[in-house]
Amino acid sequence: MGTYLARRAVHSFVSLAGLLILVFFLARLTGDPTNLYLPLDATLEARQEFAERHGFNDPVIVQFGRFLSGLAEFDLGTSIRKHRPAADVVLEAIPVTLGLAAVTMIVALLGAIVVGSLAAYRPGRIFDRLASVISLASASAPDFWVAITAILLFAVTLGWLPTSGTGGFAIEYWIMPIGVLLIRPFGLMVQVVRGSMLTALSSAYVKTARAKGVTERAVIFVHALRNGMLPVITVASDQAAGIANGAVIVETIFGWPGVGKLMIDSILYRDFAVIQASILITAAVIFTINIVVDIAYAVLDPRIRHH
Amino acid sequence: MGAERNTAAVPTAAPRSGARVVLGLLWSDKFAFVAALFLIFVVSCAVFGPLLLGGTATSMNLRLRNFPPFTLDHGWLFVLGADSLGRSMLARLMVASQNTIAVAAAAVAFAMTVGGVLGLMAGFLGGWFGNIVMRLADIIMSFPSLLIAVVVLYMFEPRVANLVLVLGITRMPIYMRTSRAEVLEIRERPFVAAARVMGASSFRVVFRHVAPTVLPTLTTIAALDFAFVMLAESALSFLGIGIQPPEITWGLMVAQGRNYLNVAWWLAFFPGLAIMLTTLSLNLLSSWLRIAADPTQRWRLEIPRGRDG
Amino acid sequence: MKWRMTLFGLSLPLAAGALAMMIAGGAVAQDKTVTVVLSEEPDIVDPCESSRSNIGRIVKQNITETLTEIDPKDGSITPRLATAWEQVDELTWRFTLREGVKFHDGSDFNAENAVIAINRTLNPNQDCEVRLKFFGNIKLMPAAVDTYTLEVKTETPQPILPTLMGTMTITGPKTQEAKGTQNPVGTGPYKFVSWTPGQEVVLERFDGYWGDKPEAEGARYIWRNESAVRAAMVATGEADIAPNIALQDATDPKMDFSYFNSETSRLRIDLTRAPLDDIRVRQALNYAIDREAMRGTIFSKDVVPSTNLVVPSISGHNPDLKVWPYDPAKAKELLAAAKADGVPVDNEITILGRLGIYPNATEAMEATHAMLQEAGFNVKLQMVEVNQWVDIFTRPYAEDRGPVLQQAQHDNNSGDAVFTVFFKYGCEGPQSTICDKEIDRLIAEASAATGDKRRELWQALFRRLHEDIVPDVMMFHMVGYTRINPRLDFTPSLSTNSELQISQIKFN
Repeated sequence: MGTYLARRAVHSFVSLAGLLILVFFLARLTGDPTNLYLPLDATLEARQEFAERHGFNDPVIVQFGRFLSGLAEFDLGTSIRKHRPAADVVLEAIPVTLGLAAVTMIVALLGAIVVGSLAAYRPGRIFDRLASVISLASASAPDFWVAITAILLFAVTLGWLPTSGTGGFAIEYWIMPIGVLLIRPFGLMVQVVRGSMLTALSSAYVKTARAKGVTERAVIFVHALRNGMLPVITVASDQAAGIANGAVIVETIFGWPGVGKLMIDSILYRDFAVIQASILITAAVIFTINIVVDIAYAVLDPRIRHH
Repeated sequence: MGAERNTAAVPTAAPRSGARVVLGLLWSDKFAFVAALFLIFVVSCAVFGPLLLGGTATSMNLRLRNFPPFTLDHGWLFVLGADSLGRSMLARLMVASQNTIAVAAAAVAFAMTVGGVLGLMAGFLGGWFGNIVMRLADIIMSFPSLLIAVVVLYMFEPRVANLVLVLGITRMPIYMRTSRAEVLEIRERPFVAAARVMGASSFRVVFRHVAPTVLPTLTTIAALDFAFVMLAESALSFLGIGIQPPEITWGLMVAQGRNYLNVAWWLAFFPGLAIMLTTLSLNLLSSWLRIAADPTQRWRLEIPRGRDG
Repeated sequence: MKWRMTLFGLSLPLAAGALAMMIAGGAVAQDKTVTVVLSEEPDIVDPCESSRSNIGRIVKQNITETLTEIDPKDGSITPRLATAWEQVDELTWRFTLREGVKFHDGSDFNAENAVIAINRTLNPNQDCEVRLKFFGNIKLMPAAVDTYTLEVKTETPQPILPTLMGTMTITGPKTQEAKGTQNPVGTGPYKFVSWTPGQEVVLERFDGYWGDKPEAEGARYIWRNESAVRAAMVATGEADIAPNIALQDATDPKMDFSYFNSETSRLRIDLTRAPLDDIRVRQALNYAIDREAMRGTIFSKDVVPSTNLVVPSISGHNPDLKVWPYDPAKAKELLAAAKADGVPVDNEITILGRLGIYPNATEAMEATHAMLQEAGFNVKLQMVEVNQWVDIFTRPYAEDRGPVLQQAQHDNNSGDAVFTVFFKYGCEGPQSTICDKEIDRLIAEASAATGDKRRELWQALFRRLHEDIVPDVMMFHMVGYTRINPRLDFTPSLSTNSELQISQIKFN
C-alpha cells in the first residue's frame, strides 16, 4: 500500500507539472490583458507602461521563469484584477465549491442507491421504467435553464425559497443550487447503480444468500450492494471531480463565490496568476480525491489490493 | 464503466432473418421503438432542414417578436411561436438540428476514436507509453474546458469545427481510461493469449481481437456523452464563449432564450426540449441495444411481460 | 417490505419541500438598510477607480466625495467639498475648500490632505482609472496655499478643470499609497465597514458627516450575473435596488424605471478600408437601418435615435442634426452609384459585435446584419468577447484588417464633449479611424475656449461629422432599467449609470 501510494503521488506530481506548463502557455495565447485593465481612452504610453510594469512585454519563456521562481517560494503571484495574492483569492473560493460538491455527491449517491436498487429489483416494471426515463430526462436538461426556471418558480411565484446567494450558508439557500447540481450526477448514477445491481442480483452469491433465507432487504442492501458499489464509486468520483471543476453555472447564477466562477472570470479577464493558482489548487484537490477513491477501491475489493 | 463490463459483446446471433429479429426486439420495447422513430426524425431534420428552411430560419420580422406558440394565425411555421427577432421557432429548431447533431457527433466520434485508440495502446503496451497516456488523461480531466474554449475561440473563430475540437478534447479522458481498463482485463483472457501464442502481431491482436471487445462499452459511454456534449455546448454559449450567431445550435438557442424566460418561455423551452428528447432517445436506444446484444439478458425482450426476478 | 422501501424513496423529496416551506420568507429586509444588487462583484473598492460603474456605485459620493459635482442633467458644476473656485491665470485654478469636514478616520479635510489625495490618484506608477480616463495627457501640480485654499497649476491651459475635478474623489490622507486599498476612507455620508469577497460590501452611516443626515442607516451591496435573478431579488424583497436590469425583465411599471444612462450606441465605420472609404456607401449603411423597427422591440421604446455621439445634456451636443431616415431604396441607389464609379461594394464587410456590450447586443447585431443584407450589402456577422473587441477597436490597428463595422457604445456623463471627440474622431485619437484637418482644428480651438463659444465649436464639429464625414452608423441614445423596491422613494437619473447616492434615497 505504501509503495502504491508513493507511486500515485509521483504520478500526480508529474500530471500537475504538465498541467501547469500547459495552462501557463495556453493562457498567454488568449491575448494581452492590458486592454482589459485600462480604459479605452488610455494613451498608448499608458498601455506600454502597464504592460511593462506587469511584465507582459517579456518573452513568454522569461515570464515562465519568473513564475517558477515564485513557485519555488510558494508564491503564486498577485491577481492584477483584485490586487491581492492569487493564492488567497483561490483559497477563499475553494471551500465553497467543495461544499457544494460534497453535499451534492452525498445526496446524489444516497438517492441513486435507493432508486437504482429498487429499479433493479424488478427490472422492466413500471417503477424501473419511470425511474430510468425520469432520471435520464432530467439529466439531459441544460442546467442554467433549470436554474433560472427554478428561481422564477420557487422564489418568485411560490415564494418558498430565497432567489440566490449564500445567505451565510443557511440551509434554505442550499436547496436550489444543490438541486440543480444534483440532477446530472443523480441521473447518471441511477443508471450505473441499476446496471451493477442487475448483475449483482443475478450472481451466484446472491442466490446463495437467498437460499440461506436471508431477508430481501439484506440481500439488496448488504450482499448485492456491497459488490455493486465499485463502478458506482468510479462514476461518483468522476462526477465529483466534474463538479469541483465545473460548478461554474450554478455559481454564476446563484451568486456563490466558488472556484468555478472565479476561474471563468479570471479567464475572461486574463488574470493569469489566478488562472494558474486556481487550476493548480483544484487539480491538487481532484488528484487527492482520485487517490482516496483508489484506496476505497482497495478496501472494498480485495482483488485489487495486490495489483 | 465497470458496470458495463459484463456486457462485453456477443454480437446479435441471428437464427431468423436479421432485420426482422431486430425490429421484433425493438417493437417489444415500446420506449426504444418510439426513441428510434424520434431519432430518425431528428436526423432527417438535420440532413434536410437547412436545405428546405435555411432562408426561413433567418428571415426576421420584428413585428412578430416573441409571438406565442400553438396558434396557426401566421401559418404552420409559427406553430411553435417566434423568437425575439420574430423568426419562426420551428424553422430555427429544424435548421439548428444540423449544427447541433454535427457538433455532438463529431466531438464524440473524435473523443472516442482518439481516446479509444490511445487507451487501447496504453493498456496493451503499458510501460512508459501507458504512463504518459494516463498522465495526459489526468491533465485533460483537471484542465478547465473553459480555458481551452477561450484559447481556441480567441485564436480562431467560434466556428463549428473549432467547437468540435474543444469539446472533443475535453471528452477524451473517459475513453482513454475505460479502454485501457478493459484492455488490462481482456488481454489476460484465453482467446487473446491464444492469438498471441499463435504468433499474431501485437497490432493485430489489439485491433482484431481486443478492440471489438472493448467497442460496446465505448459506444454505451458515447451515447451518454452525446448528451453531455450537447449540454456542454449550450453551457459554453451561456458563458459567452461558445458558438455565436449567425450560426445556430439548440444550445445557443437555449442560452439566448434564457433572457426571456419570464416573458417568452418558449424561446428556451423548445430547444431545451429538443436536446432532452434527443439524448433521452439515444439513451433508451442504447440501453435497449445493451440488452438485445446480451444473450443473458435478451429474454427480457422476448418474453411479452417481464417476469419477477 | 417493498412498500416501505418505496415510501422511504418518496419521503425524501417531500421532506425537503416541507422544510423549504417552513423556512421561507425569512430574508426580507424591512430595516433602514438599502440593499443594492449589482451585476458583478467589484474587483477592488479603491476610490481611484470610481469611474468604473460597479465601483462608482459603491464608492462615489457615498464613501469618498469629489471637490465639485457634475450635474448630469445639464453638465453644470455645483459645489461639494469645494465651495468656490476661480481661475487665477491661464494655468492656475484656485479652489476654496469646505470647512469643518472630517474624514471617517478622524483626520481633517484641508488643502494639505486634498493635495495628498490628488497626488495619489494621479501617481503615474499606479494605473488608477480616473487618471487614465480623464487626466491622460494632463499634469496637475496641486499645492496648499493656506488651510482651506487649494491651488492647482497645469502645464497647458485647462479651461474646464472644475469639471475634471468632478471625476476625482478625495481619499483620506492615511490611505495606502499603492492602488488597491481594502479599506477606503473618505468624507462621505457613509463609511466603509467590510467587504466579504464574493459575498457583500457593507457601508454604514457616518455620524460625523458635514451635510444633512441621510435617511438610510446603511447600505449593503451584493451581486448577481443574471438580470432575471437581479429582477427577481427586488421582486421578492431580497434587494431594494437593481440598478441595471435587461429590457425584458422590466415587466412591472410600478417597480421598473427607465432612465437615460448617458450611453450612445453606434457602429463605428472603418473609413480606411474599401468600400467603406466612399461616403455614399457610408450613407447607404445609415439609410439601410430601420431604427424605428428596433425601438420598442430589441431596444427599449424609450431610446432616442441619435445624431451625435454625446447625449443632449452634454455641452456641445448639436440638436439641429437630422436623424437618418429608413430608406432602403435610397440605400440601394447610393450603392449602385458607388459601384458604377468602381467602388468595390461587393467586398465582404464584417459586422463585429461585442457580446453583452448592452442588453440584447447580439440580437441588435443580428437584426442589423439582416437589414444590411436586405439592402444589398455583402456582410457577415461576428460576435467576439471584450479582449478581442478592444484589440480591434483601439490603435495600433492591424495592417491586414478588412472593412469592419464595429458595434460600440460611448458613455459621456462628464458634462463636456471634450471627453468624446478627440478620442473618437481626432487624427491621433486612440479609437479614431478618421483624420480630417477641419475636425482637428475644431478640437484644438474648442478645447481652449469656454462658455458659448466652446459649445458652438463643438456643435460645428458634430455637424461636420454627421453631414460631411459620416464616420458612424448612428443608433440610439440608450436607456437603462432600474428596478426599485416600492418601499423606497428614489428615481434613477442620468448619473445612475456611474454612481448611486445612498443619501438621496428616502423611504416610503
